[in-house]
Amino acid sequence: MSDFLDANAVLVQATFIGLVLALSVQVPLRMGVFSFAGAGSYGIGAYLAGIVTLRYETPGLLSVLIAAAVAAVVGLLLGLVIARLAGLYLAMATVAFDLIISVIAINGGDLTGGPTGLYGVITDFGTLQLIGVSIAVLVLVALSEVGRTRRRVDAVRDDPELAASVGISVRRYRLVAFAASGALGGAAGAMNILIRSTVTPMDIGFGLIVLALTMIIVGGARSWKGAVLGALIFTWLPEVLNAVGEWQPLIYGLIVALAAIFLPRGIHGLFVDAQRALQRRRRRAATSEVASVGDDDAPDTDSEVIETLKESSEVEATK
Amino acid sequence: MTAVSEQVTANVTPVLEARDVAVHFGGVKAVDGLSLSLEAGKIYGILGPNGSGKSTLLGALTRLTQLTRGEMFFDGEEYHRVPPAEVARRRVARTFQTVRLLGDLTVLDNIQLGADARARTGSDGPGAFSRIFARSGSPAVADAIARTSLQGFEDFYPSELSYGTQRRVEIARAIAMNPRLLLLDEPTAGMNQKERAEISELLKSLRGEGLCQLLVEHDVQMMIDTCDYVFAMNFGQLIAQGTPAEVVQNPQVQEAYLGKKWREHA
Repeated sequence: MSDFLDANAVLVQATFIGLVLALSVQVPLRMGVFSFAGAGSYGIGAYLAGIVTLRYETPGLLSVLIAAAVAAVVGLLLGLVIARLAGLYLAMATVAFDLIISVIAINGGDLTGGPTGLYGVITDFGTLQLIGVSIAVLVLVALSEVGRTRRRVDAVRDDPELAASVGISVRRYRLVAFAASGALGGAAGAMNILIRSTVTPMDIGFGLIVLALTMIIVGGARSWKGAVLGALIFTWLPEVLNAVGEWQPLIYGLIVALAAIFLPRGIHGLFVDAQRALQRRRRRAATSEVASVGDDDAPDTDSEVIETLKESSEVEATK
Repeated sequence: MTAVSEQVTANVTPVLEARDVAVHFGGVKAVDGLSLSLEAGKIYGILGPNGSGKSTLLGALTRLTQLTRGEMFFDGEEYHRVPPAEVARRRVARTFQTVRLLGDLTVLDNIQLGADARARTGSDGPGAFSRIFARSGSPAVADAIARTSLQGFEDFYPSELSYGTQRRVEIARAIAMNPRLLLLDEPTAGMNQKERAEISELLKSLRGEGLCQLLVEHDVQMMIDTCDYVFAMNFGQLIAQGTPAEVVQNPQVQEAYLGKKWREHA
């Protein structure tokens, strides 16, 4: 394991940073918030972690926490301003936010290092810390996909009116989405500069949005598992595609396009669909067995199916 | 509307009272100056042709649709400025005209969504941690499933169910909220006769427990069999109210909603 890490340290680091960045776009999407502000938050996190490390020599982990917290507050403030927007209008507003962060980075003078960015950000933050933080983040996100939180997030995304009718404050959830996106993006950016020791305005541009979206579209937008799949594929795929030389961008683009067309719920969606198909098949098998035991007529409504199932279980019990 | 006083008996605080409620969409007066009063332990019905404003009225009563004018009171307290998400806390539950279930959740989880709101009211609430990460299957959900005869469907997804069964899941979700006021928008649409009769019996049993219900329904016979009191609407206004028999025999209602055939048949 250690040998593998040593040999592929850069790719492993890129996978985890990419994963947290992808989550910064996926988490709001799961709540029905079409926001790309995670990329801007990544910039905030990267520069903030760089600044506090260079000026105050803060420990790596503390720098990540500070960056995530500040980016979360900025995300929340952004949400308060634009949460009323929806769909493409909201997306455009968040892209504008990302561009503003880039402009601030370029024109930030000594604070941000201007067009050349920040260099020499050396800390105690290494690959193991990066993996630890990423897994902690992943656990938190995974917890939001179970139980009551999952049900409420699904309701806010799929039917805000229904959500309100069962007592869910849709606005509050949308604001949480902005704050969470900020924290995740900020953490990803902070971890990146602490690992790479440098950040420039070029690193926080539009490309980040494309990367995060690509991971989510191909991996799946409805679960952290999709983000993991996307981060793995799009960090390691370029290495695999090295063999095809200059055709690499074309094949990369084709994969994304085909996934968008044929896998609308991503690779993770395929697994979900397969699981449900299996459940249906099991139920159907149980129903047909029951029908042959109790009655010659196949059940033709849902209720009759259930009645037949109940009768069958009674028959089994009396045997 | 002056007719409200005819219905409200003396010294009884209605569960919900609406006074001169109006909902206008630009020049369209979907609901226009409507007043009604709903008491505990009764089933009320709303009759009216398509586009008469029935569903808009339900939207206004659940605060999902903004009032253009008018006042509403719940248990005697001002209600017309309450945010939509607070309505569930007052234990007002509803179903929708078209079935609105969450496709990625099982039947059990869809119903649990209603019980989650119940937990927030504190009437059936576990601790904060277990509430947040609670998996489905609280006693309230089991009760709602039993009442709507949905045993065996718990692990199904909505797309795997017939329309009538989806309707029952919606009703179960509303019941799981432990409501004081239940608003049902065409609850038996898509159901067969047997299922309709079952739902009618369910509503009557809920009435026996003191629940106030307001029912929008096109099945006139079900209205007659189930409701204690019926409001008839047309063009956003009340055109008649009274017992189901009175309303059905009202010439204005017959003309607006039931048509000449019903009059001849009656």
